[in-house]
Amino acid sequence: MEEGSRHAYFMRQALLMGERALETGETPVGCVLVYDNQIVGSGMNDTNKSMNGTRHAEFIAIEQMLRSHPKSLLRSTKLYVTVEPCVMCASALRQYRIQAVYFGCGNERFGGTGSILSLHTDFSIDPPYPVYGGLFSKEAVMLLRRFYIQENEKAPKPRPKKNRELNTRFGDDA
Amino acid sequence: MYDATDVQDILRDVEPLSGRVIPVRTVQEARPREEFADAYVAEVSVKSASKVIKALDNAFPRDPSRPLNHLRRFAKHTQIPDGLQSTLIKGEPSTQTIFTLITPPLPEVEELQKLLAPFAPPPETPSESSQDTRNIELQTICIPLEPPLTVGQAENWSKTMWPVVFNPATPRATIAPPPQTLNRVLDSIKPKAGHYLALARKVADEAENSGLGRRVGAVVVDPELEAYISATNGDIGIHWADAIVTVAGDVRYARREAGAMSESERQLGEGPNSNVQTYNSDVEGGPELHALMRAADLVADARRKQDGNESNRQLPLNKLEKFFLSQSEISGTEPLVDPDDSSPVPGKYQKTDTGAIPKPIDRSREPRLRSRAQGGYLCTDLDVYLTHEPCLCCSMGLLLSRFRAVIFPRQGRMITGGLASEPIIAPIPVPDFTNEEHEASEATRDQDQHKLEGEASTEHADPQTGRLYYGLHWRKELNWRALGFEFVEEEVTEKSAEEGVAFHA
Repeated sequence: MEEGSRHAYFMRQALLMGERALETGETPVGCVLVYDNQIVGSGMNDTNKSMNGTRHAEFIAIEQMLRSHPKSLLRSTKLYVTVEPCVMCASALRQYRIQAVYFGCGNERFGGTGSILSLHTDFSIDPPYPVYGGLFSKEAVMLLRRFYIQENEKAPKPRPKKNRELNTRFGDDA
Repeated sequence: MYDATDVQDILRDVEPLSGRVIPVRTVQEARPREEFADAYVAEVSVKSASKVIKALDNAFPRDPSRPLNHLRRFAKHTQIPDGLQSTLIKGEPSTQTIFTLITPPLPEVEELQKLLAPFAPPPETPSESSQDTRNIELQTICIPLEPPLTVGQAENWSKTMWPVVFNPATPRATIAPPPQTLNRVLDSIKPKAGHYLALARKVADEAENSGLGRRVGAVVVDPELEAYISATNGDIGIHWADAIVTVAGDVRYARREAGAMSESERQLGEGPNSNVQTYNSDVEGGPELHALMRAADLVADARRKQDGNESNRQLPLNKLEKFFLSQSEISGTEPLVDPDDSSPVPGKYQKTDTGAIPKPIDRSREPRLRSRAQGGYLCTDLDVYLTHEPCLCCSMGLLLSRFRAVIFPRQGRMITGGLASEPIIAPIPVPDFTNEEHEASEATRDQDQHKLEGEASTEHADPQTGRLYYGLHWRKELNWRALGFEFVEEEVTEKSAEEGVAFHA
């Protein structure tokens, strides 16, 4: 496989995980872990079902991977995730010594690999990791928009969003 | 199963740490970030001032996320800073004209000149009257983008840059918690912080001695229960422990990976895991096995159980963890704290072989962990007491779990920590608001960090250890915020964790 189409293939798998999250009422973020061109773990956000705000897709995928692989394998494993890892996950990925991270859209609220903080390169006791953003970012954003147009019934004070329309525009016209 | 009387002994033996609780300042408080940008100044006729505002706001709408309300829109000749007078005031100062400020994002010069031309001051002598003299001249000046934090800063900027207004309410709202909130929480935390932190160390001891993890512990307290208990029981006995929702120790060596034995199972014999002596990332488990993340997960697990779901807990629990979990999960059938321990004889000497029969105690609600029906949501409104400054991952996990407050001993600072915002011996801040000097110090800071990581960070680094001060508990950029406190012990009993083995707590 060409390198470009390989990246595209794995990001599409991550987007599929995001779709599944949306179907089950989770924030639609999905990811896959890729070792030696094989998917060794996949995850989607699980914060609502688990009632634990820290159960992000990255942690679910790592947990799945570690059932059949040792932690040291993460040094040669790449992550494809639909949204830039948050500050929590950016630090976790560093501690797990991920080889590289490919993400779809940036995360202006919580992004830990460039948007808010740069935990992939800041001082730490673990080596830095490279990050590549912008792969299928429109698709990742659309997943999020389809989610946030819904009401969050689990929040203490759900906000009514009856009159919202799905925004499908990008760039200057957004 | 746990032994309830054993746990009561542990709780009775808790010797509270003595010291002070002090708020961890936000990074913006510790190092007020001063941002500056170019702006235009144009001289207009004083009579058309209101029309100028209207025209400018119509043509170039202001960015609502950055309203720049601290900058005066007009300055009279007398209000122009001394340093700008020679550039701005041409000829004799006139009371017929006024200076207006055009703030970033800056429009095209020609467009702006065209817009303002009708409001240009009338020519000085009627004889010179022609189209050409109705020209707007734009001067570029430097303005502060952030509102001033103090009256002094406002005065300084007004004297050197452009007249600014000081509003005590504006800066606090974004860069630091409101003082009344901070003080209210500080007052509620102060009385028993020493107890909960001392118990966190007991939890940490269990974690280490079991071989399951490093010596790191967390105690989660519901401040509402705490207030109820101190109102009804005062300082009696071990009732302070009734406000604890869950405790959790580090279990980084307890997870099986790839079906193999875990690091703790690999270890022969009792006692601390041999891995605690060094940092080897291959055997460090992961941040979800750290004390804080486990505490958040135990809360989630208890709530899932309340909802009738199966627990998916796989990792072993220590005695204290089991005890407090039972208090949070089940509804009132197993009260384990003896209510009558106001006896002058300490409970441990009363214990007989038959064991004390626990009696139910009156509590405001059962079980301890507020259910979802009672408004329980993640770790909202809960406080977490830690033995160490949490790693960056856990610091953000704390925010995503919506804890109200986090408290850790200053001795437990870690170079990998995410909460501290400045070195302990802070350099005496030199108030200096001039632009040039500010830029110079920024440059040196960035250079230092180049040496460390090869890539510049925007965070503040400690020159000795290289650690960065993130103050993650309260950052205006992040959506969720918690209050952060350090406990400064009167007598320090152990050396600072920052000097020990560097790991992620």
